[in-house]
Amino acid sequence: MKKVKNRAWSSLIIALALVALLAVYLVKLADNGGAWATYFNGGTPAGTIIDRNGVTLYSSDENGVSYSADATTRLACYHLIGDANGNVRTGALRQFRDMLSGYSFINGTSSGKTLQITVDSSLNAVAYNALAGRNGAVMLMDYTTGEILCMVSTPADDPQNPSESPADGTYINKCLSASFVPGSVFKLVTLAAAIENIPDLFERTFWCEGSSVVGGAVLNCTGSHGNQTIEQALANSCNCAFGAIALELGADTIAEYAEKLGLTQELSLDGMTVTAGSFDKAEEGSIGLAWSGIGQYNDMVVPYALVRYVAAIANGGSVYEPNLLGHGNLDRESEILSADTASRIAEMMNYNVQNAYGGQWTFPGLNVSAKTGTAEVGDGTSHAWMTGFLNDPTHPYAFVVLVENAGGGLTNAAPIVNQLLQAAIAE
Amino acid sequence: MPDISELIGYIIGATRYLMPLLALWVVARCVRSMLRERYEPETWAYLVDLNGERHPVNHWECIIGRSRSADVELDSPSVSRVHASLQRDGDGYWTLSDLRSKGGTFINGNEIDVLEDVRDGDVLEFADEELVFQEVSRDEREWLERRRTAPGRFVGPGVTLLILTLFQAFLTLEFTVTASEEYVLSVCLGFLALIVLEWFCYLVMRSVRRTGFEPETIAFFLSTLGMEVCASSTPDEMFRQVLFLIIGVALFFFLGWWLRDLRRVKAVRWLAALAAMGLLAITVVLGEVRGGAGNWLNFGSFTIQPSELVKVLYIYTGAATLDRLFTRRNLFGFIVFAAICVCALALMGDFGTALVFFATFLVIAFMRSGSFATVFLAVGGAAMAGFLVLSARPYVAQRFATWGHAWEDVWDSGYQQTHAMSAAASGGLFGRGAGEGSLVNITAADTDMVFAVLSEELGLIIAVIAMFAVIALALFTVRNAARGRSTFYVIAGCAAVSMMMVQMGLNIFGSLDILPFTGVTFPFVSKGGTSIIACWMLLAFIKATDTRRDASFVVSRDPKTPDYEDEEYEDYGGEDDEPEETEAAR
Repeated sequence: MKKVKNRAWSSLIIALALVALLAVYLVKLADNGGAWATYFNGGTPAGTIIDRNGVTLYSSDENGVSYSADATTRLACYHLIGDANGNVRTGALRQFRDMLSGYSFINGTSSGKTLQITVDSSLNAVAYNALAGRNGAVMLMDYTTGEILCMVSTPADDPQNPSESPADGTYINKCLSASFVPGSVFKLVTLAAAIENIPDLFERTFWCEGSSVVGGAVLNCTGSHGNQTIEQALANSCNCAFGAIALELGADTIAEYAEKLGLTQELSLDGMTVTAGSFDKAEEGSIGLAWSGIGQYNDMVVPYALVRYVAAIANGGSVYEPNLLGHGNLDRESEILSADTASRIAEMMNYNVQNAYGGQWTFPGLNVSAKTGTAEVGDGTSHAWMTGFLNDPTHPYAFVVLVENAGGGLTNAAPIVNQLLQAAIAE
Repeated sequence: MPDISELIGYIIGATRYLMPLLALWVVARCVRSMLRERYEPETWAYLVDLNGERHPVNHWECIIGRSRSADVELDSPSVSRVHASLQRDGDGYWTLSDLRSKGGTFINGNEIDVLEDVRDGDVLEFADEELVFQEVSRDEREWLERRRTAPGRFVGPGVTLLILTLFQAFLTLEFTVTASEEYVLSVCLGFLALIVLEWFCYLVMRSVRRTGFEPETIAFFLSTLGMEVCASSTPDEMFRQVLFLIIGVALFFFLGWWLRDLRRVKAVRWLAALAAMGLLAITVVLGEVRGGAGNWLNFGSFTIQPSELVKVLYIYTGAATLDRLFTRRNLFGFIVFAAICVCALALMGDFGTALVFFATFLVIAFMRSGSFATVFLAVGGAAMAGFLVLSARPYVAQRFATWGHAWEDVWDSGYQQTHAMSAAASGGLFGRGAGEGSLVNITAADTDMVFAVLSEELGLIIAVIAMFAVIALALFTVRNAARGRSTFYVIAGCAAVSMMMVQMGLNIFGSLDILPFTGVTFPFVSKGGTSIIACWMLLAFIKATDTRRDASFVVSRDPKTPDYEDEEYEDYGGEDDEPEETEAAR
């Protein structure tokens, strides 16, 4: 009997296996429960999404689904909210489905909750109208809290009457899920690296005669800028100066800063993955390296990463991670830049606006710091960029505007920035 | 006056949180009673050595030898490690068998071979060790018995059952609110019948003065969950469910009664083997294909799954008494029998049940032989056979291909698993309320995905408690093994709980995409008449291992001991009576 008794324990191996499998299940459940529970609700989970002012952008219950009554608001918030078919991967309907349905591990699903997001839908409408049918991306965020106030991507679609054959790029939120040639806005990255690595940067002068020769190839500039300080070189967006700085810093240093400042990092926004930008290291001393320091070559940047970087500059070098779900993230401040470097760049960006971008003519009544970009795409057209922030403690807003294939940054992006900021401070 | 829907909300809201508590209480009481209480062995005889030291004989089947795993350990170099076996039958006759020892075994100086009668006072010699066999006298046995703890002294089984009844009442209450009007009556009657049935069983046990009711309580708890699943998915079949439950309980009593007499049990083992193979053969030939597996027999208006009944016969055939454990031929016979069963099931395409049989085979084979070699050999052979089945049966192969990838094909091969997971998650810890689930609308949810149905409607806590209730039965059976009377009971009991656990594991984790989805049943909970009957019959094997004082009706009282209850002597009718006459006839 004793023999058989000892062998009887073998059947408890099965019991152990059961407990182990249960543990596996519980871990999986804790991890994915919300996604599982709400999966079969389809693309229109029960619940309501309102913007920061309480405007209903989406509502679904047993009586059906409804969106904003205003067509422009629907279009302007298309990528923010998402669509019933789940085409927009980063839309709230897909990303925040479990919060909408009110899933919790303890209580399971409940019938629909109200989710408030930080965006101001009227600002979205302003930005959408300002883009005026052109493709692009616009973001505005509060750099003291990380709250995203405006996020628009075009072309958009009407979730209420989805188009049968939408234009290319309709399903992509270009703020988060697409990268673009940055052009001169990338000089803000090279500049940060230069301030921290070239001790006599501010004592130096940079010579520009319209072009320079690097490694046997010609580096074109936007004009003949003559002798300039670094401030002037940034305001002039001088390729000769920043090309030379790039060559001096080397590809490794610039790549390191691009990573550190978040431009090539894989960032996330409220748990959803944001596409990472890219920076290819060109050969030392080559024309490629010079171009890569001024945002051409193979450089690619995602608008989200850029506005996050500019927010850090505005906020003294550290950034409150951008968010759509509101407060609670204020402890997630990450320092990506020294306060000293940040304040120097901020001053220079302000100098840009006062001396090169038309100051009060471009931004009446506003004290803006910014950098433009005119990124050559390679087909003869250019993306128009402008990124920067408002120097106003009651309206601490950082922005990025990208208009695809639109031409010069100052001409095409700055008016959109102005309209957006004017609307934002009028709120 | 609050309006009706508000009232409904209050009812569901309160019971939702109360029911997991009650379920936990019921199972915890059973566990405490089964696993925590003092548990003394039975003593049947003594072997007295020359120094006057008494070695107690605590089982009906004992090994005598030098080995530490021997039941009576003789510390002498001339004694073989496994020297001899001393066995007692249900009537109190003892036999001694030599187990091919080196030094030989002698009774009163005569060398013996196998199954030689031993009587009180005989001198037994194991090589040069000499012991006197001394049966426990009637008075002494009575005195010993009285010192043992009877179950129910610390954890009253009646109270546990009362809590279970309360649980059932709450469940019924929820259904009165959620069930559609035409079925409210049948659902209520179904639960009422369940309550009546369990109290009837309890009273029957009390009337034969058996106080161990924990395995039954657990089975009734699980059956309650089964009724819940039925009431939620197919309320029109409540009557059928109750009917099968009654048949199952009746057969539980029958099999339990049958198992009392070990000689009778042994005599018909080959019949059971034949019946099992016959049933499988009929099914292979006439079986109707459902859900990919041809394991249904159709009798006009109702269908049965013979493979479920074969489970009982399989364990019955597989278990063996101690004397048979030492013959290799017997084990070989069982291996052939098991292989035939598993192959027949594979032929039907019932891959899940084949797996359950195979795992049970491993447990039985290991318990019989104690040899990992046998087990490894079996695993190797089965792996090859399994590979053949997989390549021959596209249906099975597809289920394996889906395994772990259910979310990648939500609308086709992963349909059931993803819906199960979604429903299980949506219930949270406390569930959405009995009858409020949506998973029951999916094909086979009430059999193959019951864990998810329970999670959705009653919550994760109750679903997990159900799982641990089955594990508690297993722990109980393994604990009993140390004090079992015969290896037959111990092996059968362990095989039965192993079978239940494997089945439960495949059921739960198959539906949750953690194991391949094989479509076997959750013991007692899954809907399906034959499955319920088979589970109740397996429970009889578990009851047969319970040798606590007056615990189990399957364990007969010693006929040589007069009946007693507490301090009084009473006559106890039936076959165990008339010990005097047996003695005289001898």
